[in-house]
Amino acid sequence: MTKITIPIGPQHPALKEPLSFLLTVEGEQILDSALRIGYVHRGLERICQNRNYVQNVHVVERVCGICSHIHTTTYCQGVEALLGLQVPPRALYLRTLLCELERIHSHLLWLGVLAEYIGFTTIFMYAWRDREIVLDIMEELSGGRVAHAANVIGGVSIDADEAHVASILDRLDVLERQIKLFLDLIRRERSFQARTRGVGHLSAEQIRRYCVVGPAARASGVDVDLRRDAPYAAYKWLNFQVITAEEGDVWARTMVRVLETIESLHMCRQLLTELPAGPLTVRAPRRVPPGEVVSRTEAPRGELIYYIRSDGSDRPARVKIRTPTLTTLITLHDQLAGVHTADVPVVLAGVDLCIACADR
Amino acid sequence: MHWEAILQALRETFPAETIEAQAGLIDETFIALPPDGIHLAVQVLIERFDLRHLSTITSQDTGGEIELLYHFWGGRGLTLRTSLPREKPHIATLTDLIPGAAFYEREVSEMLGVTFDGFPDPYPLLLPDDWDGQPPLRQEESND
Amino acid sequence: MTEWLSVLFALLVFPGFGFLLACALAFQWIDRRVEARLQGRVGPPWFQPLADLIKLLAKEDVLPVGANEIACAALPMVSLAAVLTAALYIPVGGWVARTFEGDLIVVLFLLSIPALAYFLAGWLSVSVYSVVGGSRSLLQFFSYEVPFLMALSGPAILSGSWSISRIAAQQSQAVWLALVQPLGFLLALVGLIGKLKRSPFDIPKAKSEIVAGPLTEFSGRKLALWHLTMHIQMVVGIFLLVNLFLGGSDVGVTIPGVLIFGIKALFILLMLSVASALYARLRIDQLANIGWRVLAPLALAQMLATIWIGGG
Repeated sequence: MTKITIPIGPQHPALKEPLSFLLTVEGEQILDSALRIGYVHRGLERICQNRNYVQNVHVVERVCGICSHIHTTTYCQGVEALLGLQVPPRALYLRTLLCELERIHSHLLWLGVLAEYIGFTTIFMYAWRDREIVLDIMEELSGGRVAHAANVIGGVSIDADEAHVASILDRLDVLERQIKLFLDLIRRERSFQARTRGVGHLSAEQIRRYCVVGPAARASGVDVDLRRDAPYAAYKWLNFQVITAEEGDVWARTMVRVLETIESLHMCRQLLTELPAGPLTVRAPRRVPPGEVVSRTEAPRGELIYYIRSDGSDRPARVKIRTPTLTTLITLHDQLAGVHTADVPVVLAGVDLCIACADR
Repeated sequence: MHWEAILQALRETFPAETIEAQAGLIDETFIALPPDGIHLAVQVLIERFDLRHLSTITSQDTGGEIELLYHFWGGRGLTLRTSLPREKPHIATLTDLIPGAAFYEREVSEMLGVTFDGFPDPYPLLLPDDWDGQPPLRQEESND
Repeated sequence: MTEWLSVLFALLVFPGFGFLLACALAFQWIDRRVEARLQGRVGPPWFQPLADLIKLLAKEDVLPVGANEIACAALPMVSLAAVLTAALYIPVGGWVARTFEGDLIVVLFLLSIPALAYFLAGWLSVSVYSVVGGSRSLLQFFSYEVPFLMALSGPAILSGSWSISRIAAQQSQAVWLALVQPLGFLLALVGLIGKLKRSPFDIPKAKSEIVAGPLTEFSGRKLALWHLTMHIQMVVGIFLLVNLFLGGSDVGVTIPGVLIFGIKALFILLMLSVASALYARLRIDQLANIGWRVLAPLALAQMLATIWIGGG
């Protein structure tokens, strides 16, 4: 059979964000793939150097259109450490609450995308419909569905009173019922399994070689989760389990993510019922003393790391952002080798790409 | 992770250097090493401590030199720090030990013009193919 | 003169183009609406399929450089003509334009022309997505066609006739063949989904994989004709199954035949809509596996059993 080259991207129906693949295909089998990213590189790291610390909160919020809150959390946490600020517990709880809501929103969004890629539009519609519950809650809390602007250096700018907490708790119950439905479906629906089992397999050894993080690593049996390993914000006060699976394929990643969503719901309940009273912010000075800090958090897609260096002025001398998607992109070459062209979208969906994150 | 043991092992590996651990603000330890010692140090970390999760490589132009920071993670953060001259900076690649370092090295190389010796495919990662300006994260020459 | 008028009427109005077009638009709307309701959506208003068609007809018609323009213009017309011709032999509400002993075979032949044209369209329109989609559509054709044909031959063997009208008429006196051959009916439905390239067998045009498959490079009038072909093919396929398995219009019952026929057709349409909402798209190798390892043996067993019983 002759070899042909199939371009996937920069624009393609399967891609929500621009990235480019050149697939060398023989019949329906993929022999080789060449990846190119950078189509949405906005130079945010450089922009951060030209803005002051307060403005940068809003700059880093624009790194990602799905997990915007975790970026500001990581950034603020780093700057707060440089300033030596003690953030009040109520602020940490609210911050963590939004982190977990965002994880639910991100995972449900991902489930919908995966379902659409395998032609299962019903799950896609259901997942995105139920995701609206989370988006509504986040909008009520912060005024924004995706970009919340909830974090400020030294605390949060949002608050929830008791009536609001009760209403959120009610809706989380509805959401949990829906997610259990998805879980049941993923476990039992055979056409779903036919498309996801054994596809995009990564062994634990490959995960370690490529330094992969997040749900993709956990689905291959690598038990890493910074929420437990290096508890930040309010995680040290929460009870939760880290979900892992052994299979390492797209199906395992689906299971890990959906189970994580339920775990996140439990965390949200704990956060809301145990919400301590107290102030929401502490005053932060404009100028940051010289120093450097490495701030790590667990974004929905895995370990997010910020390196911030201050030279004593009101602007950072360097902000380095490494998003979790960058670690999974590198595994795509291995995952795509030998698969069927029909499985390309499934493999791409399986690693939960966020190209805007990776390009910054 | 035995941080003291790691420090001890690095001191044994580089007897000529004075190796000091500097505590970071959030669970992070910084260790400064000469540029030609990074590869060997990472080899020690992997072989003796199975510390192979490279979170990323931060590169920065401090004005006088190019600084590279290799952020590792193994239950706590460990950052290896090294400095390169601004003129023709180059350092040995880590991709033979940690294949996952490839994207980070490509990014450092395009953003600050650092050459990674022995890197298999040094194409730009984020910048356009026809980029011909100076590496964008370098401080402007006029600032010197 | 009246002879000519009746031919023209049959060709253009009933059961020809006009009637089929109306059915195609209505069925498409019902299908979209049902699927939308199943997925928790509202679905389009009733005129949406017509609006889509008119919009496409008015759009600019572009083909890439290097595509075979004559073939690309001819293929959708040929397939539309084939589907429309097939419709002439299928009784609707007890009324049929043409019939002869063996028209079932002609109809099946005519209905397979669009599949081949679809493959050729992919092959001749120079896009890699089209080529991959075209080769997939051919593979799919071989997977569903054999069980589909064997399943449809069941009613013919049982009735001892290869005329669709006669098979339908015989059932009005006896029992529906779907009750005699539930397996055959099911296989025919699955085959029909494959033939119509509907989800979960929309493999040749899988949007997230190969954009629009063979039709990626088509636009404007040509694309409108392709869509029309697909939708009329759905109508014809459903009518065929109603006649072969559900007893057509049950001549002799007091309720008007057209009404009964319509209800039965809607029932099959509903099954198609539900099937497309319930499953994920399969991979082409998985479909080939199912086609040859499951559907074909089942259809063969069904056919042999039919011959055994029907002949004995």
